[in-house]
Amino acid sequence: MTSPDGIRQDAAGSRAIPQDLDRDLIAIGQDQDPTAFKRLFADLAPRLKYFLIKGGMIESAAEDVMQETMMKVWRKAALFDSSKASASTWVYTIARNVKIDRLRKERRPEPDPEDPCFVPDGPETGEQAVSRKQDRERIQKAMALLPPEQMTIIKMSFFEEKSHGEIAELLGVPLGTVKSRIRLAFGKIRAELEALQ
Amino acid sequence: MSIRHHIGDDTLMAYVNGTLADSLSVVVATHLAICPKCRESEELMEEMAGLFLMETDTSTLSATETAMADAIPGSTLQEDISEKQSRRMHDYSNTGVPMPLAERMPATLDDIPWRTLIPGISHYPLPRTGSEKKKGTLRLLKIAPGKTMPEHSHSGQELTLILRGSYIDDLGRFQSGDIADLDSDVHHQPVADTAEDCICLIATDAPLKFSGFFSRLLQPVFGI
Repeated sequence: MTSPDGIRQDAAGSRAIPQDLDRDLIAIGQDQDPTAFKRLFADLAPRLKYFLIKGGMIESAAEDVMQETMMKVWRKAALFDSSKASASTWVYTIARNVKIDRLRKERRPEPDPEDPCFVPDGPETGEQAVSRKQDRERIQKAMALLPPEQMTIIKMSFFEEKSHGEIAELLGVPLGTVKSRIRLAFGKIRAELEALQ
Repeated sequence: MSIRHHIGDDTLMAYVNGTLADSLSVVVATHLAICPKCRESEELMEEMAGLFLMETDTSTLSATETAMADAIPGSTLQEDISEKQSRRMHDYSNTGVPMPLAERMPATLDDIPWRTLIPGISHYPLPRTGSEKKKGTLRLLKIAPGKTMPEHSHSGQELTLILRGSYIDDLGRFQSGDIADLDSDVHHQPVADTAEDCICLIATDAPLKFSGFFSRLLQPVFGI
């Protein structure tokens, strides 16, 4: 449901539809569409702010990071490639980098596909396709099958952005246990993704 | 280049969620530039993070924040992507190593002003900036053919990326492009095993610990 000013009436507090976000982000990149930006903002900005606060930022810092992120979303939208990632993932990576740049006062080291030394992906394989947005449901299904002690750590890592050391301390387990549970979890997720193909 | 040793999922996840130390992140990013397989894992992890973002509750935005939805498109120009990319192309100094490392190097790999640690082994600590410059270490290390690194262990994590040549240790043979992802409990003693110098990029998130009397004498030299 969309009101005349382009804000989805049901946006606040409910689940935004990933395909709508992708479509809006593409419209921002191709046509500099301010109405699409308004919708994307209404869907993502409140979640982003909550996510950053949950990740340990004080409210004013979370506001700054959210604002800078949304600014970058507008400016860089033409770089979004919907065949590589979904809109929420793309926005997540921008927010994470804004946060790291602020905390460390140094740009996060990242590979650059324009680098002459960059080794591009080989021809598409079945395995590669699992990271694409149409496979989100499979990723969700695979995650749902994780044992609770592994899922807890995945949640703390992605949802609360905790380090391995912080997780070990909070759960009262050795650091090595946290690391091995993460390795086990991803081993299981990869196996499930292959089985679900 | 066929890569046989990859980034551990635990390390990659810390890179993805932004909690990996800057020094270790440089090594991870340099390996990612040359390893499509690890980039695939990175994409999977980022997609998972994106899913968690969509599942979060929402915070209430202030009026000022909400007003940004109108203000941003009105006031800020979108970047000219093509111009930006061509500008970035010129930024690469011709160091022959992937960008995440190249931008921290003072010269090409052939012109590094190596400092000798002991005969056959030299190093070059890479300059660090930012708020994490005192945390951990980031250095290039050159091991002459047949030479052995002093036995050491780590109080934290150590990541080694082979840039040229190869070495062999208890864990196997590591060649150009391979990454060794070691935890604190590992003691190892790499030997350069070909006729070529072995050049690696090594990062730690804590100082190295050397075992043995002679090695302990080196501690002050290594632990810059």
